[in-house]
Amino acid sequence: MGKTAEGTRSDSALTRRQRRELDGSGAAGPAEDLLRLVDDLAAMAQDTKRDDLVQRLGTAVERLRSPNTRVVVVGEFKQGKSKLINALVNAPVCPIDDDIATSVPTIVGFGPRPAASIVARSGDEIERHEIPIDELAQYVSESGNPGNSRHLLAGEAQLPRAILQGGLQLVDTPGVGGTESQSALTTLSSLSTASAVIMVSDASQEFTEPEVQLLRHAMRVSPNVATVLAKTDLYSQWQDVQDIDRRHLREIGEVPLFAVSSNLRLRAAQEQDRELNDESGFPALVAHLRREIVGRAELIAVRSAVHDLGFVVAQMELAARSELSALLNPEDSARLLAELDRAKARSEEFKSRSSKWNVRLGDGITDLIADMEHDLRDRLRRVQREAEQAIDEGDPGPIWDQISQWLDERIASAVSETFIWTEERSHWLVEEVAELFLAEEVEIPLIAVGNTDGVLDQVQRLPGFEPGHLSAGEKIYIGVRGSYGGVLMAGLATGLIGLSLINPLSLLAGVLVGRRAYREDAANRLNRRRFEAKNIVRRHVDEVTFQVAKVLRDRLRVVQRTGRDHFGAIADEMHRSLAEATLAAKQGAGARQEDDKKRIAWLRGHIQQLERVKAELPALPPATAKDVVVR
Amino acid sequence: MSVPVEVAVRDLLDTARALYGGDAPAQLDDLERRLAEPLRLAIAGIVKAGKSTLLNAIVGERVAATDAGECTRLVTWYRHATTRSVSVVARDGTSTRLPIHRAAAGHFAFDLNLPVDDVDRVEVGWPAPALKRVVLIDTPGIASLSPGTTARATGFLAPDEAAPAADAIIYLLRRLHPADMRFLAAFRDTAAGSSRTVNAIAVLSRADEIGSGRIDSLLSASKVARRYELDEHLRALALGVFPVAGLLAEGARTMRQNEFEGLRELAGLAREDREALLVSADRFVRLTGITTLGTDERRALMSRFGIFGVRLAASLIRAGVPDAPALTSEMTRQSGLDDLVEFVDGQFIGRTVALKAHGILEVLRVLLDQHPVDGASELEEGIERVSLRLSDVDELTLLSRARIEGLGLGAREDEAIRIVGGHGVAVHDRLGMDAGAEPIRLRQRLVERLDGWRAASHDPANDRRAVEAHEVVIRTLEELHEGLRARGEESRSVTSPAGGSELGPADTDDRAAADVMLSRGPRDGAGEDAHEHGEQSQAHLRGHQLP
Repeated sequence: MGKTAEGTRSDSALTRRQRRELDGSGAAGPAEDLLRLVDDLAAMAQDTKRDDLVQRLGTAVERLRSPNTRVVVVGEFKQGKSKLINALVNAPVCPIDDDIATSVPTIVGFGPRPAASIVARSGDEIERHEIPIDELAQYVSESGNPGNSRHLLAGEAQLPRAILQGGLQLVDTPGVGGTESQSALTTLSSLSTASAVIMVSDASQEFTEPEVQLLRHAMRVSPNVATVLAKTDLYSQWQDVQDIDRRHLREIGEVPLFAVSSNLRLRAAQEQDRELNDESGFPALVAHLRREIVGRAELIAVRSAVHDLGFVVAQMELAARSELSALLNPEDSARLLAELDRAKARSEEFKSRSSKWNVRLGDGITDLIADMEHDLRDRLRRVQREAEQAIDEGDPGPIWDQISQWLDERIASAVSETFIWTEERSHWLVEEVAELFLAEEVEIPLIAVGNTDGVLDQVQRLPGFEPGHLSAGEKIYIGVRGSYGGVLMAGLATGLIGLSLINPLSLLAGVLVGRRAYREDAANRLNRRRFEAKNIVRRHVDEVTFQVAKVLRDRLRVVQRTGRDHFGAIADEMHRSLAEATLAAKQGAGARQEDDKKRIAWLRGHIQQLERVKAELPALPPATAKDVVVR
Repeated sequence: MSVPVEVAVRDLLDTARALYGGDAPAQLDDLERRLAEPLRLAIAGIVKAGKSTLLNAIVGERVAATDAGECTRLVTWYRHATTRSVSVVARDGTSTRLPIHRAAAGHFAFDLNLPVDDVDRVEVGWPAPALKRVVLIDTPGIASLSPGTTARATGFLAPDEAAPAADAIIYLLRRLHPADMRFLAAFRDTAAGSSRTVNAIAVLSRADEIGSGRIDSLLSASKVARRYELDEHLRALALGVFPVAGLLAEGARTMRQNEFEGLRELAGLAREDREALLVSADRFVRLTGITTLGTDERRALMSRFGIFGVRLAASLIRAGVPDAPALTSEMTRQSGLDDLVEFVDGQFIGRTVALKAHGILEVLRVLLDQHPVDGASELEEGIERVSLRLSDVDELTLLSRARIEGLGLGAREDEAIRIVGGHGVAVHDRLGMDAGAEPIRLRQRLVERLDGWRAASHDPANDRRAVEAHEVVIRTLEELHEGLRARGEESRSVTSPAGGSELGPADTDDRAAADVMLSRGPRDGAGEDAHEHGEQSQAHLRGHQLP
């Protein structure tokens, strides 16, 4: 497990905090204290052989140390995304060029030494190959890897930078608005697995319609969206553009805008020029990243950890108290055993496949899959009909390029819609399941056991699990997102790479349909062309439907698995705790006088330790609705 | 020998009018006007691509508004006139004169008296020499956030049910964006009608920004333009890609003496001082103690020339450019404007008659379709006959095809491209000879070529593509031959081979006008003050800004 929290309270802590604020790094104060508590508790859990609780605490530690916060940077071509990231990390990690653009998503995170790797698919597996960091450009830019012909899923880079230390990951993406429809979809899917989205638009002009469209989409699938107005060093009228953009943003929702210049920032870093740094506009952006993005993720991790700690303490106390109570009040042991048995039985049901939450989860996903497929088919059928109509109205030969491009775009749009809508529905489902879980769980109170004075305690409710707090839903959702994030991003991307290879429209079109219209066309030659064109369209739409449905189905199954694992783990722990408590009570009831005293002393000591941990648990920091639900 | 194309088209329009009698559709009036006017050249592109700036650069005056926010919301026509005037034409056809004033930012402006949605277009008359040879049409941006704006642009340039109102188009791109491709394809489709002419060229605009204002920005822009030219989609839609730094060109062509002096002052600063100013646009305006130029002056220079423009001007002055006219000339050249204008001059304006005729006949066809009338079938035949004579259209088609997929002519391909006007429509250009070549030698070369190509056309190895190419090349050569023989005189520099002197007296003005279009020389402000024309309005700016 981890080491104890670093440092002691002293003056140096103040400067450390100041430094953290300047460069946006580091774990917050509460997290360090919690880490210590977690360590203590984990040691105790280890002693009592509760490896399942040890694992839970281990996950909490990971999240506390570096709450994985993925920030996806999106925008149209050449708006300055890559340079923005380079300026934030003060390193030329993302390739920039006047002409050439990024062709593969690149994830920049923390590492003790500069390092890079590329992520590729190999059959059904994901492979990671290390590469020298200065070769990264060759793999992720259009010049080295045009159109991602190497079929990479992503590039990764690690840098020893303070701003990345708190778990922040910046993701550079290929520009949207290209002539390839699948890049739009890949970006959309990566948005949904990110903690936050930053859209970059340069100060040469106000938002275009496609940019606003992108923002609206982003806001539906991501909880935290901000915009950056880039290249302010180049445009004297940037403030006018900023005003105009702010007006547009007001109509969309609450989306902050940060006007920056990456050039000025990079220069300021080079020349250690504070004034230039201020002019670059970066301090405000970094503060936002720190507070709203990383800070919020940390907050959630802390809430999560506090909750976990309370839960673990309650479970560990249960066994000890049950045994102690049986030892101290043997006449009461029958009643105690009976209650424990009852609770254990209920918890068995609770963790079973037939429990309400599990059933709802399974049924919900099944329904959602069906709805998704229906929606997808419906939308794509409509597109197909429109295409057929267009083909019938003219000669498909000479306008084939147009048809093909139009079709591509409409398909991308339809698939995006289905994706976003499915995403929203799956969020709701997870919340619904969380509510059910809570409701069922409340029926299994951890048993009232006598304290050392023989006075009955109140029924112990799990801390933080009061309904109306939404803490459970939030925690679960974050857990779900955190775990399926990386896998899904790869998964969807693989599905889409498969898609890109199947493009009969461009491959076969020229051959079969023919591009030229002869003036002396026989009517039946035209009819044959129409027939062939409609066939190609139909086959393409079928293929797309098949592929996309498969990918989305897989995605939903991952949601189901993750949800089941998450809730299931909690239910299993509870069951095990109750089973152990029952056993402990039985042992206590059947113990002999001579062993009693030693055992009682040990148990009292154990409980005291646990109480101490409980006392040090901070109050649950407040949650905001933004952390939980996705609008 | 048949009548000149222009006369033939005139006859067709007269016939149409006679057929319709009192019920003539309104479009017929416009067609007659169109025939009498110069070539209609539209400037289109995504929002804030720099259309109005480019227009100002071509015209040589700041007639169009170019603010930070989206400006042009309406289709605006610029025609030559002896005095300045602005009229707004409503959807119901009524036209109202509006007073013009000069805006604080330096361009000309007027106030719309109607809601934007009720306006069909704005018509501007301006005494600019460049407008003698071309009618410029400024359009609102594609992909604008204002819903009506994009619709107005596409509705004008690539309408669903009609032929477009422009004869040719300059399309401004900043980057290849799907909206751009969609639009160009739609334009090509409506413009092509049945012959698939590609009379559009692409401009890679705001070229100086591609390199973040660095001194080698234009070099980068050139590379990007070259790459776009090879893009298979764009190739099918445009005849070429020209990088142009519009702001640079506009600033250079409308440079005032005091601006030159300001630039010279900056050129005289020590290098570190100048570079300190050029760190960012804000710093350029804000920093004190480095130059005697005031804040307002610097702000004006920045907005007129941009960071790159200021940098370039300073470096040119340091390299020895002596005065304002010389600076203007060099900056205009470097901006890419000269190359663009040369192409437009050569390939579009040089083919005015045929392109106009093609457009007019296309509209006439649609008109007859939508408003049937007795006797229309004969008229339609007449239209077909004249259409077949528009060899320029076939030449452009061939040039376009050569770019997309080649002509299948092997070693003779370059010569074919040259003959159909790919390097200039003047006779000597087509034959690969000097401008001063004597008619006798021109005739000799012409006959040589004609014989050679006629012989080559019988080669059984020619595939379908090559056969078609041969047909067009031979036809061009035959018409040139006709033209030279009929006139038996000095070759003209700027005429279309089909049918001789279509433009009449205007022809001799053509060459002079070509020079005037790119007249060098700083504008010292003469004649630009609105009050000289008695049209000053004290009303504040409200609503649409303009020329």
